[in-house]
Amino acid sequence: MQRLGDFKLPHFFNYPPYFTLQPVRETRDKQVQLWKELILDYCRNQKIFVIGLEDDFPLFSNPVIERSLSHEAKELFLAALVNEGRAEWMDKGHKKCLILWMRIQDWAEYIINFVKENGFEDGVMTVEDIRSGIESRGTDLAGIDRTVLMRALRLLEQKGKATIFKGTSTDDEGVKFSV
Amino acid sequence: MGNIFVKKPKITEVDRAILSLKTQRRKLAQYQQQLDAVIEAEKQAAKDLIREKRKDRALLALKKKKTQEELLKQVDAWLINVEQQLADIELASKQKAVFESLKAGNNAIKAIQSEINLDDVQKLMGDTAEAKAYQDEINAILGERLSAEDEEDVLAEFESLETEIALHTLPTVPSTVAQEARTGIEDQGRTEKPEVNVVKQKHGDEDLETIEAIEEEVLELPDVPTNQVPGRTKVLEEPLPA
Repeated sequence: MQRLGDFKLPHFFNYPPYFTLQPVRETRDKQVQLWKELILDYCRNQKIFVIGLEDDFPLFSNPVIERSLSHEAKELFLAALVNEGRAEWMDKGHKKCLILWMRIQDWAEYIINFVKENGFEDGVMTVEDIRSGIESRGTDLAGIDRTVLMRALRLLEQKGKATIFKGTSTDDEGVKFSV
Repeated sequence: MGNIFVKKPKITEVDRAILSLKTQRRKLAQYQQQLDAVIEAEKQAAKDLIREKRKDRALLALKKKKTQEELLKQVDAWLINVEQQLADIELASKQKAVFESLKAGNNAIKAIQSEINLDDVQKLMGDTAEAKAYQDEINAILGERLSAEDEEDVLAEFESLETEIALHTLPTVPSTVAQEARTGIEDQGRTEKPEVNVVKQKHGDEDLETIEAIEEEVLELPDVPTNQVPGRTKVLEEPLPA
């Protein structure tokens, strides 16, 4: 079994046909399905939030069998994820894609659990602290994409479980929880 | 967005102060990283310069490194200050929360107590004592009569129990005699009874139906000797059926 870092690649990654878009609809559907799962798994494993279609992305090429996905194929697979709400195009040109390996509402729930476990109810945290502070070290929140985090926090704000606020102009954005 | 009816947590001045301190903490930590990098770079530069035998430049690099290190120490002190103040704020807000809770508790006690009038309580206690005395009086009167009746009852029950026990103990005497007699018979007719036991034990492990069937057999078996009481001596001499 081939590996990418500490990520175990599936068997199909070694079959050249999976790197070319299949012409027959049925096989193509299956191909898209497998790639969708692989992209989500890989991003979850490596905590990747953004895939740039024009950058080198290790998952989209297999040097062992000398195959790489075409731009068209990448866009198609990612578009399939976008359709399911598991990804979002970050620009009109479809050059960057935000991967939601955890949905925004799941992130919101994750944050609430994190807040409860660490006793931050009624507490104030900076948004930066959530992403890189000692409190979140070792959790999925460490290194979370800022856009994703802010959207999860806004969702919590709508539910009345958090307030996002600013102090003085030089201060970070803060969030106050009330769970 | 922003539903007006959703109750968001309110931001107080304290929250803003905490945010400011936490931001400062992060920035200082970042600054430290930056200083660390600079120190490392100056150290490397000094090494290179020593290798190139440019003593002056190397000393300058080391001096720069030294100033950065002093700065780093300074930042450490600031960071500790920030952390200390954050902890103080947290402590103070906890103290305030405890104070608020105690105040609320105190108010509750006062509110409850205000519903009780001291004179009323005294009157109530007096009434209760009177009622108690009255009750005791009734009890005393009733108690005397009852105890006299009780005495009779107790005596009567004692007698009836005594006779009952006497009646019970009487039949036991013949029963033991009967047992003795039976053991005597068993001594004589041992050949019969153990045989029955063996049959029972053999089938002990088998299922209920067979056990019942055997028990029926067993029940029939003792009948045989009683019918053959006259000829028992003969049975004794006969060899046991296998």
